[in-house]
Amino acid sequence: MALARRARQPEAGDDDVFDEAFLAKLELLHVISRRLFRGRQRAERKTRKKGSGLEFADHREYSPGDDIRYLDWTAWARLRHRLIRLFEEDEDLPVRIVVDVSDSMGTRGQRKLRYARQIAAALAYVGLANLDRVGITCLSGTQFETLPAVRGRGRIFSVFEFLRKHGSAGPTDVRAGLARVAAQASQPGLTIVVSDFYDMHAFEGLNLLRFRRHDPVAIQVIDPIEADPRGTGLRGDVAVLDCEGQSRRDVTLSPRTLAAFAAAHERFCQALETNCRSRGIHYVRANIDVPFDDLVLRMFRSGGVLL
Amino acid sequence: MSFAGFTLTQLLPIFAIGSAAITGMYLLRMRRREVVVPFAALWEQVTRESESRQLWRRLRRLLSWLLQMFVLAGICAALGDPRPDVWLRAPTTVALVIDRSASMDAIDGDGARRIEAARARAAAEIAALGPADRAVIIAAGEEVGVAAPLSGDTTALLDALPRIEPSWGEADLGRALALAEHTLAEEGDGRILVLTDGALDDAGVDALARCADGPAVCQVAQIGGPAPNLAITAFAARRYPNARDKIEVLAEVRNFGREPAVVELDIAADGVSVGRRRIELAAGGARRESLPDLDAARSRFVARLHAAGDAPGFSTDLGPAFDDTAWAVVPPLSPLRVVLVSDGTDLFLDAALLTQGDHVELVGITAEQATGGHAALREADAVFFDVGDASLPTSLPEAHVVIFDPWRTANSPCPIARGDELRRPFLTEQLRDHPILANVVLKDVNITRGTSLALEPSDQALVRSLGAPIMVLRERGDHALVAIGFDPRQSDLPLRVAFPLLVDNLLHYFEQREPGFVASFPVGTGRELALGELGLAVADGERVVVVEPSGRERTQPVDDGRIRLRALEPGIYTVRAEGDDGPISVELAVNQSSIVASDLEPRIADVLARASAADAPTPAPVAQGPLWTAILLLVAAIVVLEWATYHRRITV
Repeated sequence: MALARRARQPEAGDDDVFDEAFLAKLELLHVISRRLFRGRQRAERKTRKKGSGLEFADHREYSPGDDIRYLDWTAWARLRHRLIRLFEEDEDLPVRIVVDVSDSMGTRGQRKLRYARQIAAALAYVGLANLDRVGITCLSGTQFETLPAVRGRGRIFSVFEFLRKHGSAGPTDVRAGLARVAAQASQPGLTIVVSDFYDMHAFEGLNLLRFRRHDPVAIQVIDPIEADPRGTGLRGDVAVLDCEGQSRRDVTLSPRTLAAFAAAHERFCQALETNCRSRGIHYVRANIDVPFDDLVLRMFRSGGVLL
Repeated sequence: MSFAGFTLTQLLPIFAIGSAAITGMYLLRMRRREVVVPFAALWEQVTRESESRQLWRRLRRLLSWLLQMFVLAGICAALGDPRPDVWLRAPTTVALVIDRSASMDAIDGDGARRIEAARARAAAEIAALGPADRAVIIAAGEEVGVAAPLSGDTTALLDALPRIEPSWGEADLGRALALAEHTLAEEGDGRILVLTDGALDDAGVDALARCADGPAVCQVAQIGGPAPNLAITAFAARRYPNARDKIEVLAEVRNFGREPAVVELDIAADGVSVGRRRIELAAGGARRESLPDLDAARSRFVARLHAAGDAPGFSTDLGPAFDDTAWAVVPPLSPLRVVLVSDGTDLFLDAALLTQGDHVELVGITAEQATGGHAALREADAVFFDVGDASLPTSLPEAHVVIFDPWRTANSPCPIARGDELRRPFLTEQLRDHPILANVVLKDVNITRGTSLALEPSDQALVRSLGAPIMVLRERGDHALVAIGFDPRQSDLPLRVAFPLLVDNLLHYFEQREPGFVASFPVGTGRELALGELGLAVADGERVVVVEPSGRERTQPVDDGRIRLRALEPGIYTVRAEGDDGPISVELAVNQSSIVASDLEPRIADVLARASAADAPTPAPVAQGPLWTAILLLVAAIVVLEWATYHRRITV
C-alpha cells in the first residue's frame, strides 16, 4: 500500500464538488453565520486606518492644517494642549482566499485539494452573501491565477468555476505565492490561505502577508493517513518519492520509523501553529475527515475568521 | 564423523552452487517498492536520524546472509546424513534377564525393593544403548516371559520395566537363559546380563553357572544381599487315619536370618482362629507346631505369621510377606471300594470285610460275574478273590488284588508263578515287621493243603512254609498283588483272631499305598493332578473349571483323567466338574512354602567370581535417531525465526 500512487488517480466524482447538496450546505452556513454575526452592518469592519469614522480611536498633536473640527477642546481647556481627536475609519475590507493547488494537495485522490476547494467555496459564499468583496487565488510553484474580487451572492458560480478548473500541478511554494499575493494586493485585507503548508518556508509567506498589513488566516489541510502512516501497513524496504518529483530516498519502513514520521509531522504542524499564534495569525488545522461545513462553523464560532 | 548419505565430495558442489546463488541474490540490488509521499522533506528528516545505524544495518544484512548460508549448510549436512563416530561402532545386543522370583520382593537395608533396584539397573543399561544397539528384556519367574521384545526403541524398553513385578515361587532361570541365548544366537555381538538377588534354587544356580561358562557372554549383577526372613515352610492338615472325624494341622516355621527371632503363628479355620502360638527360633532354626484333635467339620485352614510384640534380644522382622501366609484344605473322605469275588461259602471273609468302617464300600460278586467283567471290578480299589474250586477270571483287574489259593486250577491269571504242591503245610516263617502282618500270628495255623509260589526278585515272601513262599506280595505298578497259597476253607485260619487282623491289615496297606488326596501343592506352572484321586470322575475329553484364588475361572481339558494345574499364586483353588448327579467340586491349597524360595541368602558367589557384571555403563550421549532430522529441525527453526524477525520487519 502506498501513501499515494505515482500516477495521479482522479477522484471519483471530482466534478461534483459543488453540487446541489454542497449549495444547500452553503446556504445553511450563510444562515448560521448571519445568526452568529447578527447586529453587524455591512462594511462595519474596522480597519487600523485612522480616519473619519464615528468611533474614537486616539489623540495626536495638532499640526497646522488639521481640521479644527477634530480639535479636542475639552483637553485644551483642561491641559492647554492642542490635541486632535482621531477616529476609526469604517471601510469594507477585501477578502482574499488563497488555495494551494500544488501536487502535495493532490495525493491520495486529491482529497486534500477537494477539501480545500470546499472550504474556499464555503468561505467565499458566506463572504459574497454578506456583500464582501471576495477574491480567489490558486497558486503553486508553477501556477498563479487570481479571480479578481467580486461582490454579490450571484457571483458564487464564477467562484465555483474558477476553483473547479484548477487542478493540482506543480511543486509547493507557499512563500513565493503569498509574496506575490501581498505584492499584487492594492488594498490589504483578510487573506485566508488554505494549504497543507508542506513547505519548510510556508510561514515566511504568512509573515510577509502580515507585514503587508494583511490579516492572514492559515487553514492547514491535513490528511490523517499522511500525517500518521502507521495504519497503512507499509513495511520493509521502499523508495520514498516526493509527489512533486524533487527527491527520492530509500528507507526501510518499520513501526518505529512510521512512528517517528508521525511524531515529526506533528512537530511540524505544531511549529507552524506556534509561529502563527506568536504573530497573531489565526491558525486552523483542518482534518479532511471532518466535514467541511463543521470546520467552517467552528471557524466562525472561534471568531478567528470574521466575514 | 562420517556421512551415510551423500558423500562430502557430492555435498561440496551442492553447497558451492547454493551459496553462490544466495550470495548472488544478496549482491543484486533489491528493487524497492516505490511509495509516493506528499512531503518528502519530512521523510528525509526522519530517516536522517536513523542513518547513524547504517553500519549496523549493513551488519544485519551480512548477518542475514550468514543465516542463509547456515541454513544451506544445514540442509547439505542433512543430505549427508552425518553419523558421529561413536555411533559407528559395531551394534551390540543385550539380553536383560530380570529375576522376578518371590525373593525379589525383599527390602534390603537401604530401604529399596530388590526388584526396583533391578529395574533401575536395567534402565541404566537401556540408557547406555547406542542408536544401533538393541536389547530384549526377559522376565524370569515361575513362568518365563519376554517383557520387551528385541528392539532398539529405548522408550518401549523402558516402558516395559515397571510391569515387571515379583511373582510367587522361584525363577526358572534355566528357561530364561536358554531363551536369552537363543535370542542372541543370530546377533553378532551379544551379551546376557542377569539381574538377580542370587537367592536361587539349585536349578537356578546351575543354569547361571552353565551360562557363565557357556560360549555367550554372560554377566551377573547381584541385587541386594543377605536379609532376614521368617517363613512358613510347611503347612498341612490331615484326618487321623483311625479317627476320620478329627483333624490334625501341622505348620513349620523357619528363621532364615542370622539372629534369633520370635514370631506369632496364627492358625484360622474357616475364618475362626483355632490356635495362636508364640514361637522363638534360633538363627537358621525351624520349628514345627501342630494343632491336634480339631473338628473335621472345618475344611479350610490359613496360617499367618505376625510380628511379635516386645521381644528384647530377638528379631521380629518377618521379611517379605510372600511366605508369611499358607493355606491348607482338609482332604475329603473318600471310601475304599472293595469287591469280594466269592462263591459265598466263606462267611468268615465276609464278616472280616463287613467289620470295616463306613469308609469301606463292599460289593460281592460271583466268579462267573467276575469272569464276565463285572462293572464293579473296573471301579474297585481292592479285589479279594476267594472262589474256592471255581475258576478265576482270565485277567486280573486294575486294582489291589488278594487271591486265595491262586493255583488250585491250572489256568490261573495270577502273575506269581506256581511252586510246589504242599500237603499240610505249616506256616513257619513270617515277616513280622511288615504292616500286612502286624499283630498277626500264623504259626499254629493248620492247613490241609496249599501251593508254594515262585518268587521273582522284586517279590516279598510274607509267609513261608519251611522256606517255601506261601504268601507273596508283588508290586504291580500302582497296585499290589497278594497271593496266599491256600484256601481259608481248608484251614483253621478263619477261626483265629489273626484272620480278621490280616484282612484289616491288607485293607490299610492298600489304603496307605493309594497316592490319596494331596490337598496342598507348591506354587508352580505345571502341577499334574489326577482327577480321580481328587474324587472327580471326569471322562477324557471333558473339561473342568479351575477357579483361582482371585476368582478368575479357567477351563481346562481333561487328558487321561488328569489336568495340569497352573498355580502361579498361593491360595485355595477350586476344581469344578459336571458329575452324574450335578456339579461336583474339590478344593486345593497352593502354597509358596519352600525353603529355597524363602531363603534370601545369595548363593551365587561362585558364579559372581567368574561372571560379575561391571557397574552400569555411562549413558550414550545421543540416545537414538538419525542426526539429519535434528539438523533439519534446527534449520526449520532458523527459517521460522528468520521469517518472523525479518520478513515481519520486527528486526528491520
